This record gives sequence, structure tokens and C-alpha cells, in this order.
Amino acid sequence: MSQEKFWILLAKKLSGETSADELHELENLIHEHPEWQFAVQNIGGVLKNHPLKDEIHAEDAYMLHLHRMAEMNIPFNDEHTEEPVFVASNRKAKWYWAAAAVLIVALGFFAFNELSGNKNPNGQLAAEINEISTRQGSKSKVQLPDGTVVWLNSGSKLTYDKEYGQKLREVILIGEGYFDVVKMKDKPFIIHTSAINIKVLGTVFNVKAYPEDKRTETSLLRGSIEVTIKNRPNDKIILVPSEKLVIENSRVIEKEEPKTTIPTPSAEPSINTLVAINKLKYGSSDSSVAETQWIDNKLVFRDESFAELAVKMQRWYGVEIEIKDTKIGQKRLNGIFENETVIQALDALKEFISFRYKQTGNKIIINR
Amino acid sequence: MLENDHIKRLLSAIALYNDQVAYKELFVLLHSRLKQFAYSILKSGEEAEELVSDVFIGIWQKKDRLTSIESPRLYFYTTVKNLACNRLNKQKRQVNGSPEEWLVQMNSIYFNPEELMITEEMMRQIKKAVNELPPRCRLIFKLIKEDGLKYREVAELLQLSVKTVEAQMAIGLRRIARCMHFEVKGSPLPQLSLKK
Repeated sequence: MSQEKFWILLAKKLSGETSADELHELENLIHEHPEWQFAVQNIGGVLKNHPLKDEIHAEDAYMLHLHRMAEMNIPFNDEHTEEPVFVASNRKAKWYWAAAAVLIVALGFFAFNELSGNKNPNGQLAAEINEISTRQGSKSKVQLPDGTVVWLNSGSKLTYDKEYGQKLREVILIGEGYFDVVKMKDKPFIIHTSAINIKVLGTVFNVKAYPEDKRTETSLLRGSIEVTIKNRPNDKIILVPSEKLVIENSRVIEKEEPKTTIPTPSAEPSINTLVAINKLKYGSSDSSVAETQWIDNKLVFRDESFAELAVKMQRWYGVEIEIKDTKIGQKRLNGIFENETVIQALDALKEFISFRYKQTGNKIIINR
Repeated sequence: MLENDHIKRLLSAIALYNDQVAYKELFVLLHSRLKQFAYSILKSGEEAEELVSDVFIGIWQKKDRLTSIESPRLYFYTTVKNLACNRLNKQKRQVNGSPEEWLVQMNSIYFNPEELMITEEMMRQIKKAVNELPPRCRLIFKLIKEDGLKYREVAELLQLSVKTVEAQMAIGLRRIARCMHFEVKGSPLPQLSLKK
């Protein structure tokens, strides 16, 4: 009888199922039968839990699984986004294997101070604000306390307070940032911009939220993110890899008059669209997307008007550009600037659009 | 070990954020276990693979309900069992899918010989002993030691009492011990009440 009990209790112990009473009972049994001790010590090593690992096979099986789902017409990528009625539907979902995550959001105003820790004069009791900013024409890479890495594009500002990382990880972004967020499932990472809030658990994405831009852009390459628009806090938009969310700022931010120095003709016909979700376009030669190439020091423009490009060039080179001729501003362009100076860039553009420019100090005026 | 809490976190990421990364992680985590379990019932690798895919299609389609699953570990095994038994019934391949007829393969028992005073011959004996356990006993042994299920979960999954699971585990353990010459001395081992 005691033997039967012994094996039952030992099996339970080795499976992590024993209660305190049972452990005590087992100890007593072993104490009464010291000759059993040897078996107890050795059999434990044989029966340790060894979960089988077959990840390579599982990854292959996962690909087949997704393939099977696609064949059965079971939506994987875009199912959830059908709900918000105001989402423009231009959604041909496809699963991109090479997906990485990029998110772009556009925000309020410019800050010209550089990397300045903003110490609160009232002492330590007040929440300490950390502020990182970049000037026009310069970029910066910073690491946040949790290891999250942020690249800040020209003329952008990122702030977070002392509470960062305690319960939430909250930051405020003005301008453009590329975020590589460390995965912490219990501490969501939240980005506030003037038009939207973005909530993520851990992923990589790019946010473009410049105040003078008409749109806030959020591009996602990997993982998923949840976006709420400021004036519609109850509607959640969930982005999946390879998607770009574009928001018309003027519909969201009230009484905000974007002071554009350049006439920017409406590029897309979807004038009444508050929110649109588009697919990211991958470069043919590599897996990069235009939205994130700035972190590699490339100014990429794909089917953009000269006027839109000029706004980017202003930030990129830290100059002021004025296009006097509307028709020239409407010309559409594709290209990449990498090491060119602003003058070299303009000279290159002249090959495609005929215009003249005049530089006075920091200001460039473009004419027919 | 298959941690319920870990699976729960993945399921809620899927339910709340459509987290495809979590979905993939969950798939990779559970795939080989579930496939082996499905295989033991269906006895076909191809069908077992398909069945696991079906389970995960269900997960994606029923996202809203995922957060209410109390014990995800048990949920997955129960789903596999039900789908597999339905499949057998449809094909009329078998009158019943009772666990006695399942084909359970142990991946093998793992050792660290340096920690143990066992010989090659003993190892061979142990593996043999495990593979010669009666099907139900081997299944229970596998579910607990390899798949990391709890006694209570195995009992519920196989519709047995917890006492039966305890007894089956004791039988398995004793058989292994006997191979290692760890028979407890003092009184002769009673004959194991196992049907051959």
C-alpha cells in the first residue's frame, strides 16, 4: 500500500502537482524507507519536463497555414478595418512577407532647440520633462529609458516625462519619428500627436506629424498598432503590416490654420476623406519603403508634386523655398536625394522641370 | 512547459490588436504538440497538419471570444480532440475514437547522463519501457511530461477522474524505475495490473 502511494506521490512531485500535505507525506515515506532515496534522486533527472522544440518546422507550417487561409479566402490582413465607416476603402490586402514596420504621424509646430533636457525650475517634485528636438536640416537618434530607439527627422520634437515606463510609456511627438519600440506587453507605448494617438505594444514604425503638413501619416511595417483620432476617441483603427494611415489634419484639429508658405494643390481626389488607409509600396530592388528611408539619410519622393517636395526639402536642408509659379508646383516627381546639396538637388530637378531659381541667403525663390 | 498565462497574453494581443506577431508566436509555440496530439488520433501526418491549421483559422475568426477562454491549454487540446474525432466519424474510418486506439508516440525521454548514474543499456531499456506502456498510460504520460498539461486538465480532456490520471502516472513511473533497477526494496513489487 505504501509503495503504491509512494509512486503516486513521486509522480505528482515530478509533475509539479503535489500539495504541501502530500509533499510532507512523501518525505515521511522516504524517511521510513531510506533505501528509496536513491530512486527518488535519480529518476527525477530522467523525467524532467523537456518541451519539444521544433521551431523551424513550425515556421514552415505557419507559412503553409497562411497560404491555406488565403486559398480559402479567409481574410487575414484587413478583416478588422472594415468597421469604421469613415475609412476610405482602397484596401487590397496582401500579406507581405518582407514586412517591417513604419508609422508616420503629423503634428503641430516646430521646435528649433537642440537636444535640451528641460529641467523644471520648481525642483524635483514636479514631473520632470525630457525633451529632444532637432533643427531643420539635422536628424537625431535617441534611446529612451526602456531601450526603445527613436530616430527624429529634421525639425521635430519628442517629449516624455518622469513617469515614462512606470505604468505606460507615453511620448509626445511633433514632426517625424521612426520608432523601434521594445516589446513590453504590460506597458503599452503611446504616442500623442496633435491629430491622433497611437498605441503599440512593441513594433517598429514611422510617424510623420508636421504641423504645416496637410496630413498626418502613420506607416506600419511590422506588428500592429492601434490609432485613435483626436476628435473621434471611440473609433479605433488598427493597422497591420504594410499599411499607411493618412489623416487630413484640417478635419481633426480645429481652428488650426496651417501656415503654408507654398501653395500645395490637393494631390489626391479624395477630398472628403478624413482617413484613408493605403498599402505601402516597396522598392523594387530592396524591401525598403519611401516612408522610412530618411533614417538612411535618403530624401525619397515618389509621385509627389514639386510643391510637396519643396516642403520636404525645406526641412531636409534647413532652407526656405518659395515656388512662385503654381503650374511648376503641380509637376509630379520621383526620385531620391542622398548626398546632394540643396543646389545640386535643384540643378538635378531642373533637368526634368524647366525653372529658374534665385538664392538669397537662406531663401530660395523658384520661378518659371 | 506550456504556460497558460503566456498563451493568454498572446490570445489577448490577438483579440485586442489583431497582433499578427502574437498569432505567429502562438502557432509556433503550439504547432508540434497539437500536431502530434492530432496525429495520435488521426494517424495521418497530413490530416494532422490540416487539423492544426483549422484550429488556428478558428482562432483568427473567433478573435472576439478569445479573451474569455479560462484555460487556453485545455482549450487547444480539447478543440484538437473534438475536431479529430469529428473527422473520424465523418470518414466512418473508425467506430469510436477512444483513447485506447490512439497511437501515441513519445518523442523520447530526455536525460542528462552526467547527472545520472545510468548506462547506455539502461537508457535503451527506459525508452523501450516508455514505448511499451499501454496506450492510455503512454498518452497520459506524454501529455503531462512532454506537453506540460496538469493532471486536472488531462482528466478533463480524456474524461477520466484525476485519480485515474494519478494511477496511470504512477504505473508509468514505476515501470521506468524498474528499468533503472531502482526497484524499491523491502517488499516485492506487486505485479503491475496492466493488460497486455
